[in-house]
Amino acid sequence: MNIKTRKIFGQVLFILFTFYLDGLMKWAFLNNMNHGIIIVLPQLMLMAIVMLTMRIDDRRQLITYGIVFGLIYDSYYYGIIGLYTILLPLLMIGIDHFKFLLVKNNMGYELSIYFLSLTFLQSGIYLLERLLQQTNTSVFDFITYTLGPTLLWNVVVFFILYIPLANLSEWLVKYRRDNK
Amino acid sequence: MQKFFSNKKLIILMILIIVTFGLLAVTVNIRDNKNTPPVVQQVGNDVVSVVGGVFAYPTNAVKNATSEFSDLYNTYSENKRLKARIGELAQNQAKLEVVQDENKKLKQELKLNDTLTDYTTVNASVLSRSPSSWQSYLTINRGQTSGIKKNMPVMSGKGLIGRIVEVDKVSSKVELISTDNELNDKFAAEISGDNNKNITGVVSRYDSSTGDLVMENVNSVKNIKKGQSVITSGLGGLTPRGLYIGKVYGIKKDNYGMTNSVYITPAAELRNFTVVTVIKSSVSGEK
Repeated sequence: MNIKTRKIFGQVLFILFTFYLDGLMKWAFLNNMNHGIIIVLPQLMLMAIVMLTMRIDDRRQLITYGIVFGLIYDSYYYGIIGLYTILLPLLMIGIDHFKFLLVKNNMGYELSIYFLSLTFLQSGIYLLERLLQQTNTSVFDFITYTLGPTLLWNVVVFFILYIPLANLSEWLVKYRRDNK
Repeated sequence: MQKFFSNKKLIILMILIIVTFGLLAVTVNIRDNKNTPPVVQQVGNDVVSVVGGVFAYPTNAVKNATSEFSDLYNTYSENKRLKARIGELAQNQAKLEVVQDENKKLKQELKLNDTLTDYTTVNASVLSRSPSSWQSYLTINRGQTSGIKKNMPVMSGKGLIGRIVEVDKVSSKVELISTDNELNDKFAAEISGDNNKNITGVVSRYDSSTGDLVMENVNSVKNIKKGQSVITSGLGGLTPRGLYIGKVYGIKKDNYGMTNSVYITPAAELRNFTVVTVIKSSVSGEK
């Protein structure tokens, strides 16, 4: 196995791990089933995806990641295919497209990208589910009780986890070409 | 050349939109109308859930440990209260055994095989919960191979928590009773009255601001008192009779003063559990 395959394997494992963490976080710590109308959705996989998208230059690889993990996410967590499957690749292409504006990777920049993508993803899911009559939450309720707390929680977690996650994704993407 | 390119992008966008809505519509329809999702999706979900078990077991262990800590915190007062009830409990249990035995014999006499109260159970442990606002699903580690079917009710230790919404080979999804989705989660319920007059209705809504379940279509509210227990009535297909839902908390009229809604405090502590019980009714009702 050459170094490139190993790195890709590592990236896939990284995303998969965060994929499971999403469900487990929700199950173990944010499980407000009896009381409270505030809903916090952990989005650690999106963190990993954003981090990797900022560093991987191969667009085809990005789209593959987006579709594959989007499909798994939809099928396993939502039971409806077509939410993450479409929104995730779109998001990744979007980030890849505007990446050239970036001078140097820094925390503020990545944090705002993550913030924007989280807003895009959650609003997109809300619109699609509303359209398919999976929910009848009003827009204001969605913003106050779902989007707001979700953004707050995830941005704080991103802030805490930034350094290890950034170093890890940096290490998972960069390799010296001669080092076969 | 420029024109061609812009056209190409337009075509891609169009195809993307068609594919999105096609996929969404098809999967929602399959979920609502078919008993199982397509085999590819089943296998995919099973693989993901089996691997997920590796992460879920340590998490569940931690969850159990933390809830043990919080249990320890109020052990003393609880112990006092429980001691008072132990005697009563033993007596009830003995009585229950005798009555169950008698019931069985009487049924044999009447040549009744299974009634609405007969069911078997399957235990399953929880693998994860969907990080989604409107699909409040739990994934559990039992599926078709354990005889689980769509729409079976699911209990945690104390009471009803939801219903099976998707069955794969070795895993399935439980939709929680606290869900917002109005299409799926309705349970036919009854309030056991004092003088053998049962009040029936449908638990059809969850009030997220108070954490209460709401029972509607109640036939009369005359004899309902706070604290009466609410059980499933067994009139809704795959749900047997006698599963404990919760206690009556209060009665409210709707905005027009027309119908009465009974508010129920759910019995199931919907937070600290790692194992659920799937109820298989012995009488198969209509689908």
